[in-house]
Amino acid sequence: MSALPAVGAESPIQVRNPSALDLFMFSASSWLLHRIHYDTPFTTEHDGHPGLLIHGPLQGVYLVQTAESWLGPQARLATITYRHLAPAYLGDSLECGGTVTAADADGIDLDLWARKPDGTITTSGTARFTPA
Amino acid sequence: MGVITEEARRWADREYPPFEMQVTATDIARFAHATGETNPIHFDREAAVAAGYADVVAPTLFTYVVRMHASALVSPDQLEPDGSPTADVPPLPTRRAMAGETSVVLGERVVAGDVIGVTKRLASMYEKEGRSGPLVFVEMEFTFTNQRGDLVARENFTRIYR
Repeated sequence: MSALPAVGAESPIQVRNPSALDLFMFSASSWLLHRIHYDTPFTTEHDGHPGLLIHGPLQGVYLVQTAESWLGPQARLATITYRHLAPAYLGDSLECGGTVTAADADGIDLDLWARKPDGTITTSGTARFTPA
Repeated sequence: MGVITEEARRWADREYPPFEMQVTATDIARFAHATGETNPIHFDREAAVAAGYADVVAPTLFTYVVRMHASALVSPDQLEPDGSPTADVPPLPTRRAMAGETSVVLGERVVAGDVIGVTKRLASMYEKEGRSGPLVFVEMEFTFTNQRGDLVARENFTRIYR
């Protein structure tokens, strides 16, 4: 257990800049057919968004990857809960990071977030990792 | 008097057919590339076996792929103009949906060759008064198991209609 980071430790920030190709690949690989992730005219003209939306579940994956690449193979995700607080659009840069909020004999709890450079949190969550 | 009618409640509380996905190494590699994974355990069988897995191993939240196929792998005439499956659109006065909270509990990992079954049920449906009118919360629970009956994941996903 001592190998896992202590309360207050902060992960390195991972900056994610998903391209239109990345958004399409995520839709295609998961068979998520919603047009707002790949059809720009539909998204802007019909739905009134400024651009294609970065999938909420993709941001969930980014949170997990931020923690996993920090903690390494010594820890495994046991639970994660996240919610979307603001839309993220194609072209937005997402800074993803996490902080250890609790630690005990069975694992650690983390706060995780993705935010735009202006500080707007787009996705926020909590996770528990246990020793692998 | 709320916006959740008996019809909406019956719609949400209906039986959802179970779905099974035969997970291939190709499915795993596609999702891994789409999410920027570079670890060879997601692409290369030998690397996965060397790391202690039976075969190429799926990234942590791969079950999302299984549950999307369960709802969206339908004939195109069963899709709405926006691409979402018609069967997922509730009979509510408003159909504008937002993703709410996602909560996942992880069990056994998914490897190539697994057959992952998913069952879906209504966990809860309720409304709250929002600033611009009623908000309806529909929480679905997904349970994923592998071909041995091991729990792979349990996911609760809330969609908010306003």
